[in-house]
Amino acid sequence: MGMHIVKRENLPLWQKVCLYVGAVAAALLLGAVLLLAIGVDPIAYYNRMFTLGTVGNPIAYKVYANYLADLVPLVLTSLALSLAFKMKFWNIGGEGQFIMGALATAVVAIKLGGVLPTAVVLILMCLAAMVAAGIYGLIVAALKVKFGTNETLLTLMLNYVALYLLTYLMETKVPWNFLLDPTAVRPVPQSFDKMVKFPSIPLVGKFSLNVCVIFVVLIGLLIHVYLRRTKQGYEISVVGDSAGTARYAGMKVGPIVLRTVFLSACLIGLAAAFKVGSTGILSTTITEDVGWTGIIVAWLAQLNTWAIFLVSALVCVLHYGSTVAAATFAQVDSSFANMLQGVILFLVLAADFFTRFRVVMVKKGGSDHGNG
Amino acid sequence: MEMDKLSVVTSFLHNIVVYNIPLLYGTAGEILVEKSGSLNLGVEGIMAVGAIFGYICGCYANSLLVGIAVAFLAGALCGLLFSVLTVTLQANQNITGLTLTTFGLGVYFFVGNGLKASGWPVMGNFSNIMAGFSNVAIPGLSKIPLLGHGLFNHNVLVYLGIAIAVAMWWYLNKTTPGLRLRAVGENPAAADSVGINVTWTKYLHICIGCGIMGIGGYYMGLNMSGSFNSNCWINGYGWIAVALVIFANWNPAMAILGTFVFGFFNTLRVSGSSLAAAFPSVLGFLGDIPTQLYQALPFIITAIVLVVTSIRSRKSSGLPAALGINYFREER
Repeated sequence: MGMHIVKRENLPLWQKVCLYVGAVAAALLLGAVLLLAIGVDPIAYYNRMFTLGTVGNPIAYKVYANYLADLVPLVLTSLALSLAFKMKFWNIGGEGQFIMGALATAVVAIKLGGVLPTAVVLILMCLAAMVAAGIYGLIVAALKVKFGTNETLLTLMLNYVALYLLTYLMETKVPWNFLLDPTAVRPVPQSFDKMVKFPSIPLVGKFSLNVCVIFVVLIGLLIHVYLRRTKQGYEISVVGDSAGTARYAGMKVGPIVLRTVFLSACLIGLAAAFKVGSTGILSTTITEDVGWTGIIVAWLAQLNTWAIFLVSALVCVLHYGSTVAAATFAQVDSSFANMLQGVILFLVLAADFFTRFRVVMVKKGGSDHGNG
Repeated sequence: MEMDKLSVVTSFLHNIVVYNIPLLYGTAGEILVEKSGSLNLGVEGIMAVGAIFGYICGCYANSLLVGIAVAFLAGALCGLLFSVLTVTLQANQNITGLTLTTFGLGVYFFVGNGLKASGWPVMGNFSNIMAGFSNVAIPGLSKIPLLGHGLFNHNVLVYLGIAIAVAMWWYLNKTTPGLRLRAVGENPAAADSVGINVTWTKYLHICIGCGIMGIGGYYMGLNMSGSFNSNCWINGYGWIAVALVIFANWNPAMAILGTFVFGFFNTLRVSGSSLAAAFPSVLGFLGDIPTQLYQALPFIITAIVLVVTSIRSRKSSGLPAALGINYFREER
């Protein structure tokens, strides 16, 4: 007897869901074992983590607001990356594109905030961020289409070029640098939250909802329609399956790649605009790694638009919750979330194998399936 | 006065080597991995895992050798995880590598901060580690004026790093297993058809490569005198190593040169002002260059190298043709 691995056709959705839920449960179980080993009650810890410490908390409304503030850029970045990934264009430059968008947002906010009406400034901030991030992504797509430049490695390099540009602007106290507070002696970023900021809609009691949350849900809806119901969305999936097939079907692959990567990077820029426009200040850690986490989220969600919302919400709970729990459980570092997230993804990647392939036993010397 | 100026130059050279040899470990390790056709973006995390376990075990055993061995093993285990997922289970290499970075940094801080709460091993208390990591002058060469102390008076791990890179160059270019490895990275189906065991070749080289990265991480911990704080010891060196692989054109011997080039900028960031002070008329401008430019330069240079090599014919490029693509045997 020998083993043979065969590609399988679509696994029923419920089986897929079971596999992924199982992977998450197994990861949490492994985490629980680790917690027990260092003498922490895992149930108490997870309880604190998954409720984000809101139980019996008089300022729970702040927790929800902060949680959503973390969630918005992550969802939008993951959605954006999924567009490029669907085409098998490995845009891992989310960090760099986010930074370019954030810089553009801050420039517009500081220069025009208070000069033009707030609504106009907010729209201009979004547009500027989208153009800046979009171009930063488009450069790579153009090189990829024209010369076959490796986009994974190039976007990776550009992440750091953008990061050090941002660091330079945040740490260099010179007269022309309007991104820093002119009244401070040390380099402190110029805050603009008094002049221009995305508004929140008041709900019950002290709870309110940042308009960006609504925008992100709407954008998710639009992306869903775009991918499922439009010609352009169809083209993305054909190019993703096989560039050769797409060419054979008469599609112009180059322009499709350029268009989609530009759109992907634009949306990352928009995520940056939402983030900066809500916090009202720039900083060197403005991305909070969404460019990296977004890649993992998009993949965990199998590039499915609505699954991205769900997975982002879970990943955000892990990160936010572990920070909250670290305040109570001093011996558990907040990096526990990163470990859990890693283990979950490893298990999902492994489980994914069984959704795509089937292991069959064959007799030695039996018929050859290799070229089947 | 003249002596003073010379000593600034000598210590500048010395620092280039001391602070940047971990790049060589990371790069050499990643070259071995990439030559097997796998793009592993987990260098940063693997170095962190090697660093934390190597450092802790090395201290408890009070032995540099144990530290090196554990760092290698910890790195190799990460490599094994990467191999199982990408080679056997056909998982996406980019995603697996990035996750390895997240996971590795998580492990680093979890273990480090956890231990810090109960009692962190202070490197200075372990005599064998201190002695093992101290400089060993190469007789004769280290007496060369200006260059001697800068280049030939270093700790054992510096020499080991150079030796690994040279040995790897020889292995890749002059031996049959090295040739087989390159064949797997270029065209796994063709390699398979002439009887090379693709799976085994990939597993072996990914694990060894990641082990080498682990030693590089351990070096960084030692070089920071084992002081653990909120900044990771690896501090982005893993990413620079990924860039350096491209700059070195997947050639371990070139990686030594590349380490000096990237290390030169890296060290200018720290020592630029002292050079400017020693030679105000010639190097005075160094004091005005923003340090962030030095930090960005490795990535800017690599981006340019990437673009230029893709525009020119790919013949001379050392980029393995099957890099990043999983090999599914049944699809031959």
